[in-house]
Amino acid sequence: MKLALATTTAATALLLVGCASKNDARYIDPQGPQTVVSIDRINIQDWNNAAERLVASLLASGVLERAPEQPAVMAVSRIRNNTQQQVDTDLLTKNIRVALNRTGKVITTTTLGPDGRVEDPLAAEVGSMQAFMSGERQRTVLPFYTLSGKLLEDRVRVGNTQQTTFTFQLSLTTTRDGLAVWEDVQQITKQGRRSSVGW
Amino acid sequence: MRLLVLTTTLAAALLGAGCATSVNTVSRAEPTATPNYVADQRVITDASLSRKLGIVSVNQATVSGNLLQIQVTLENRSTRPQAFTYKFDWIAQDGMELSGPTTGWRQIQLQGREVRAVSAIAPSPAAADFRLKVREN
Repeated sequence: MKLALATTTAATALLLVGCASKNDARYIDPQGPQTVVSIDRINIQDWNNAAERLVASLLASGVLERAPEQPAVMAVSRIRNNTQQQVDTDLLTKNIRVALNRTGKVITTTTLGPDGRVEDPLAAEVGSMQAFMSGERQRTVLPFYTLSGKLLEDRVRVGNTQQTTFTFQLSLTTTRDGLAVWEDVQQITKQGRRSSVGW
Repeated sequence: MRLLVLTTTLAAALLGAGCATSVNTVSRAEPTATPNYVADQRVITDASLSRKLGIVSVNQATVSGNLLQIQVTLENRSTRPQAFTYKFDWIAQDGMELSGPTTGWRQIQLQGREVRAVSAIAPSPAAADFRLKVREN
């Protein structure tokens, strides 16, 4: 009787421990398949996935080798968000910049931005201060390429099933002639009734 | 009794037909493409997965001057649609694994008997080798 009681207690305790560890907060790999999938939001894996596909497309296109100087200097222009959610487009562009930077093909300027909004104002200020102190003209390396794009969203519902498509459009433009030398569109479609953990 | 058996058989046949959505394909009889195939070694820890998903071929190319590109052609051996997740790891000449912001797990959905390739470009010119991991969803 005692043995049965002990066994039952131990089994219950193990079960509870198991359940607790599943529901309690824990760390997961942000690049792994245990992340949450929401139907109506761009999840972290969607940003990573879109960035990977766009970077692969850009590298495979061969346009980066056409820049007269290597690595090619690129500035990030406007990425328009036409989705229903408020997002920071750096979730896409920073991944792309980091990936391109590691390939050694592209270097991004942080002292030039759309509408005069620079990413690193201190670097711009120090650059002009150095130029002033030395009496020389400020040397700003102008970008050969600019990266621009748009995020779009399409929602449709049939009964209880909802489907959302997020479209990531990007263009790489040469600044000297304003021509888009590379363009690509990647879409991510999610369908279901509710969000889920893991995919 | 006969009617019951007939109805059950018909229902089972219809059910089976509904699930079987395999893909028919057509291609050039004598392909002109000349892929650079890679001799590969496979480590199977999930026998069920290896029965469902076949590795048809592995080939490589160089893009953007010095970046290794690997393409692995997969085949869904089942007649039903299946989803798999995969991940490319990249290894430098000195054996160190290379990481990047775009080297995570990805999903692929294959229709019944569909053959499709997954590919990836190395995150750095330092990549010399690769490892593809595949798991069942």
